[in-house]
Parts: sequence; C-alpha cells; structure tokens
Amino acid sequence: MYPIWEVPNLSAGIVLALMATFHILPSHLSVSAIWFNVYVETKAYRENRPELLEFIKKYSLLLLVFSYVLGSLSGIGIWYSATVANPRGISGLIHNYVWGWATEWVFFIIEVIGIFIYYYTLGKVDKKTHLKIGWIFAIGSWTTMVIIVGILAFMLSSGKWPETGNFFDGFFNQTYWSQLLMRTTLMFGIAAAYAIAVATRIKNADVRAFITKTASRWGIAGLILGSILFLWYLKTLPDANRMLITVLAPQGLKTGIIVSSGVLVLYFIYANVKPLGIRLVPAILAIAVLFGGIWSTERIREMIRKPYIISQYMYSNQIIGKDVIAKGVSAEAKIINEKGILKFAPFVPDGLREINEGNQVQVGKMIALIECSSCHVFDEKGLRAMPQMVKRLGFKEAEAVEGFLDGLGGYPYMPPFVGTAAERKALATYLVSLNK
Amino acid sequence: MEIGTMLKALQDPMGIPFYPVVFQALMVLTFALHIMFVNFTLGTSFLSVYGYLKGGENWTRLSRSLARATTVNISVAMLLGVAPLLFVQVVYDPFWYASNMLSAAWVIGFIFIMMLAYSLTYVFYLKRDHKTGGGFAIFGIIAFALFLLSGIIMHALGYQLLQPEKWLNWYTKGNFIDTSGTSLHAFQLPRFLHFIIPSFAMTGIFLMLYAWYFKNRADFDKGYLEWVGKTGAKMAFIFTAIQAVVGFWWLFSLPAGFSFFTNPFFLIGAALGIALLVFLYNAQKDPVKYAVPGVLGAFLTIFGMSYAREALRMKYLGRFDYSIFNYKLNIDWGSTALFLATFVMGLAIIGYLLSVAYKSGRVAGEYVSTPSMNKWGKISIALLLIWIVVVAGLGIVISVRNYL
Repeated sequence: MYPIWEVPNLSAGIVLALMATFHILPSHLSVSAIWFNVYVETKAYRENRPELLEFIKKYSLLLLVFSYVLGSLSGIGIWYSATVANPRGISGLIHNYVWGWATEWVFFIIEVIGIFIYYYTLGKVDKKTHLKIGWIFAIGSWTTMVIIVGILAFMLSSGKWPETGNFFDGFFNQTYWSQLLMRTTLMFGIAAAYAIAVATRIKNADVRAFITKTASRWGIAGLILGSILFLWYLKTLPDANRMLITVLAPQGLKTGIIVSSGVLVLYFIYANVKPLGIRLVPAILAIAVLFGGIWSTERIREMIRKPYIISQYMYSNQIIGKDVIAKGVSAEAKIINEKGILKFAPFVPDGLREINEGNQVQVGKMIALIECSSCHVFDEKGLRAMPQMVKRLGFKEAEAVEGFLDGLGGYPYMPPFVGTAAERKALATYLVSLNK
Repeated sequence: MEIGTMLKALQDPMGIPFYPVVFQALMVLTFALHIMFVNFTLGTSFLSVYGYLKGGENWTRLSRSLARATTVNISVAMLLGVAPLLFVQVVYDPFWYASNMLSAAWVIGFIFIMMLAYSLTYVFYLKRDHKTGGGFAIFGIIAFALFLLSGIIMHALGYQLLQPEKWLNWYTKGNFIDTSGTSLHAFQLPRFLHFIIPSFAMTGIFLMLYAWYFKNRADFDKGYLEWVGKTGAKMAFIFTAIQAVVGFWWLFSLPAGFSFFTNPFFLIGAALGIALLVFLYNAQKDPVKYAVPGVLGAFLTIFGMSYAREALRMKYLGRFDYSIFNYKLNIDWGSTALFLATFVMGLAIIGYLLSVAYKSGRVAGEYVSTPSMNKWGKISIALLLIWIVVVAGLGIVISVRNYL
C-alpha cells in the first residue's frame, strides 16, 4: 500500500484512461502505417512510378513526428499514470513480465531507429536498401504488438497462470490470439484512414486517387476481418468477464463500436468509388470516428476486468485477492481482516492507527481512500462520486452501510471490504456523513 | 511502523524473476546510456539557441545542425530511458513507487512538459528559417527551460527515493494526509548540477564527433569543421573541469557516516573522470583525431559514475538494512532466455540500421550498399521472421496444451 493520489472529480484512474486513449491514435498508427508505406514503396519501384515517393515522404514524416514524438511520450505517459493510479498493480505486472517488457524494448529501439533512418535516407540510399529498412521497421514494429498484447490480455484473463505462475502460461492466455489477430487486422483499417488523410495533401491527382483507392481496400478488408475477429474475441472471454459486458458496459459504448465501424465501412466504400472527393477535414473526422470506436472497445475491456486489476490475482484497489501458490504469494484478505487495514497499510498517520470515539469519521475517510479511491471520488460530483452513491442508496444509518459493506463481494464487479469490524463501522460512519 | 519493516512490506510479494545483480547491472548500463543522451539533448538544445542568437556564418550553420540533432537526441534519450525505468521498478520498487506517489502530479506533469518541449524543439528546427532577426529563439529557449524543468522533476523523484525516513512526514500533517501530489519534497543542488554540467562537456565531444564524421564530405567547408572541432574540444575540457569541482562539492555534502570517498566505485569513477580531463587537455591540438576515443572514454566515465551513484544509493538504503540482494527470487528461465536471445539478436539488427545511417551520411550523393551490407540486411530481416516463428510456435504449443 503506497500513498494515495487524489485527482479532484476525476480520480487517477481517469487520468490513466485519458492518457491511454490519447496514446491509441499515434501508437496504432505507428504499428500499421509502415506496412502500407512499404507496400506503396515496393509498387513505386516495381512499376517505376517515382511520383508515389511524394506520398511516402509525407506519410513517414507524419509517422516520425506524430507517432514518435507524441506517441512515445504518451506511451511512457501510460506507464507513469498507471504507476500513480495503481502502483501495486503495475508492480505486480512488472515483477512477472519484466523480461517481456525488456524484450519489447529491444523492438522499440529497432522501431525508433528504424523510422528515423527510413525517413532521412529516402532517396539517399539505393532502393533495395531502403526497402530493407522499411521491412525491418515494419516487422519490428508489429512485434511490439505481439508482446504488449500478451501483457494486456493477461490483465484481463490470466489463463493458467494463477496455478502455475509461469510467464508463458499467463502470456498465451485464453484471449491472446483473438486479441492479437483482431488488433492486427484492425490496424490495417487504421493505417488506411491515416493514409487517406495524408493523400488529401498530395497535389498529383493520379497519385492521390491511387493511394486513396488502395487504402480504402485495405480499410474495408481490415474492418470486416477485424469485426469477425471481434466476435471471436467475445467468445474467448471468460464467462465472468463476458457477463460484465451486459451488467456494466454503458449502452453508449456498445453503440459507439457498432456505429463507428458502420460509418467507416461506408466511408471507405465512398473513398473507393470517388477517391478525389475526399478532403482533409472529412478525412480527419473519419479518424475521429475510428478513435471513438477504439475508445469504446478499450473502455469496455477495462470495465469488464473488474473487480480485478490483474485477473484472478489483484483487486482494482491493489489488495491481493487470491493466492498464487506457485509464486509463494498469499491473499491478503485474511491477514487484513485480523490485523486491520490501518495497521497493515504503512502510510497512515499515527493518530489514525487506533480508532476512538473522536476520530471515527477521519479514520473512515482514511479507509475509504485506501480501499475505494481507485474507482470512486469523494467530491460531490465526478467519477462514481461517493456522496451521490450514498444518497442514491439512501443510507442514513451506519448499521445499514455496515450490512452493505459486508455483502460487497457479492457484486460481480466489486472487491470485498477488508478490515476489522471496528474499521467497517468507521468506514460506514464516514460514508453516512457524506449524505448531508 | 519501523522503516525497515515498512520497506520489506512494500516489496512486491511476487519476487523477481532473475538474480538481482543482473537487473542492477542492466539498470546501471542503460541509465548511463540514457543520461548520456539526456546530456546531448540539453547541450545541443542550449547550443542551438546560443548559436542562433549569436549569428554569423559558422554559428548559424552549426545551430541548424544542432537543432536537428536535438530532435534525434531526445528520441534516443527517451528510448534509452525506458530500460532503467523498468529495472529500477524491479529491484527498488518500494522507493520508486513511494517517491512517485508523493509527487504524483509532477510525475504526470513531466509527460506534458516533455511533450511541449519536444514539440517546441521541432518548431524551432523546422520553422526557424522562415523568420529573420532571431525571433524564433523563444521556442528554443522555452524548450531548453522545459527540458531543465523535467530534469528537476526526475532529480527530485530520485532524491526523495533515498529518504524513506521522511516519507511519512511529507505525506501527513497531524491526522491529515496530503493526497494532492503537488509538492516536490527534496532537492540537492550539487547532485543536480552533477547531472546537468556534463551536458556541456558531452556536447563539446559531440561537436568533435561532428567534425570527425563530416571531414571527408566535399560539401563541408574545412575551415568550418576545424572551428567546430576546436570549439567542441574547448567546451569539453572546460566543463569537465567544472564537473570535477561540482563532484567534490557533492562528495563533501554527503552524510559523513557514508565515508563515500573510500568507496571503490567512487574511486574508480573519480579516476576515470580525472583521466578524461587529462585526455581532453591533450585533445585540444587535434580534436578530430581524439573524437572517437573521446566519446568512448566519456561514456566509460559516465558508466563508472553511474555505478558510483548506484553504490551511493546502496549506502543510503543500507541505513534501513535494505539490500536488493535479499530480494525474494522466483527464477524464470524461460522469459530470461527470451530477453537475452532477443537482446543479442536486436544488437545485430540495430547494428545494421546504424551502419546504413553511418555510411549514407558520409557520402554526398546516393549510397549504394556493398554485397556484405546487403547480406547483413537480409540476415536482419530473417532474424526477425525467425523470432516470430519461434515465439508463435511456442505460443501455439502452450495454447494447445492448456486449452484444447
């Protein structure tokens, strides 16, 4: 248990979600765009169409500046915001997957050095060499996805890992392949949307039409295959998580996925029929629609992970919920229930370690910060604001809240309350005090 | 709660998947590489603005090159920063996370500050020639100031980490706790300067390398390159000398109980630093000749100093009986082998990419690969494909075993 960071009205978790959402735009571009680039470049050389290189130059500059300036930084930003939102969660991941991340880092180096050299040597090295660099960059970049999907999927569905504690059992878990293939096909759709936007800036009408037509085909294929694989992904989800899609995911997000895919398919069809009819603003709007779709999918993925931050191991509030015997790790509920959370957590003021008549509310707030603040704010308004919840549930008496806290683990998405009876009472007293 | 007990309780119960000494060595090595590029970034960013404002043919030309170099240097610095950031969380997790949480708003701020600084650097590089009269310097100046500010944040996080005895005081005021994360709690000037001053020394060496690299290019003026080399050598020497003074200042400001001046890691680091100073003194007469051994020697010095910094951290944390060598082990050979194999393979591929860049930059026209370079390129692609086949094969075997 580390110190807590409260972000007024938002929670640190939402800071993380915003950072991660933003990161989607440049990162997915970086993995996918180069495939399109290499394809076009090969065509330019084979069919002797040097005019296509104008597009290559523009598209790689977008990649260099957008993906590798804002993309790299927001990627590190995800890590930083995950750290301050859930330090024990990120620690748990790192202590299992450090070599996975280190392996990804090797490919990340290949990727970043690759894009710089690809961009700066265009026209300055012979064609074959330039294509080789393109291929190295493309494959290396996709490999970062091969790795990070394993860790992302592990958080959602940890496979046989809780029994064996084995790196690869957790990595190649039940949703690994469906997620990898889904993301791989969708990334071509993403590359296509960006390519069409870049093409609008090209003066040569033939090149523009050619790029837009080609990209639109990539887009349609990527989206259709991606949607089919999305259904497979839903099938591979563990039952408990799939059930949460019905219980937790807001209709808006579900509609977001369907509408955005539909709109994009129509957009790509239009682009294929009238390639010169697409201008920059609609092309950017299409990227925004795409972004909305991805955002909805990723948000749902994070919601259905509940009550865990790491599937079958650690709850969202950083308390270890299950034993991992293979790694010699015990669940913490039992010891916290005996000792009390106030004695268990290191960062508690001395005056709040013992409960007395005078400090009930203060102690209750301390416990709420430790056990609830990952997902709830305590301001009047904001993310799952606790005062609103207490009012909605009509809690006026501490006893009623105590009963509610007792049954908390019965909700499929809530971690159970842990702590002594006196601590539960203090928490209940604090929560009731919010109903004023 | 007693501090030693608290630190033990904070350690991740999963343990670590390989011997701590390996994580430590990788952490120090990658940190040394990272800080070298941080130094290049700060130095080239500063000098590109300086040259732009100073004007004149040589400075303007150099300023343009350095502005472009800054964009690459930041990227590489970030790239190389990922690894030590990862490894510090493996063996020093209680410290890193506590320190981050206590200044969480700054941790997030760091990202936005860097985004802004990086974007401004690009603006300064791409748009500077569109306006005359030095008006664009403001972008470069703000960028440099923001880089410095992000250095201050990282310094504070790294220094707060060493003082677990103060954490609770920083976090609590009586029965109230401060969950805002808006304060930076610790700053030590000589320590901070010891990370910043080398920026100018390293940029001096960077200029020597620049003069060396372009010396055979017909389109580069000899007089200009000679001037760049001399300026670089002078800068490198002066700032290395200043760095030595700052180093002793830092040494004498350390808690006396550490007797750090007898620590072997410190002694090796200091000896390397003095040797570098002597070397740079000799380099004044022919900077180009000394450029390559110069950068290697400077890196070796940084590496030695980074180990000394790690030894100092062990002193600080040893006060609470914390040692990474007691970390619980859950050895995982499979993933360790995956990383090591990938790392070696990666070096071969990165080597190819850098060779292409190096060779193409040295000729004025189009570079045509030699047959051996072509072969290296093909091998690189093949290695990547083999990697995918092996890992996917492993994944299929495991998936079939576990789920079919």
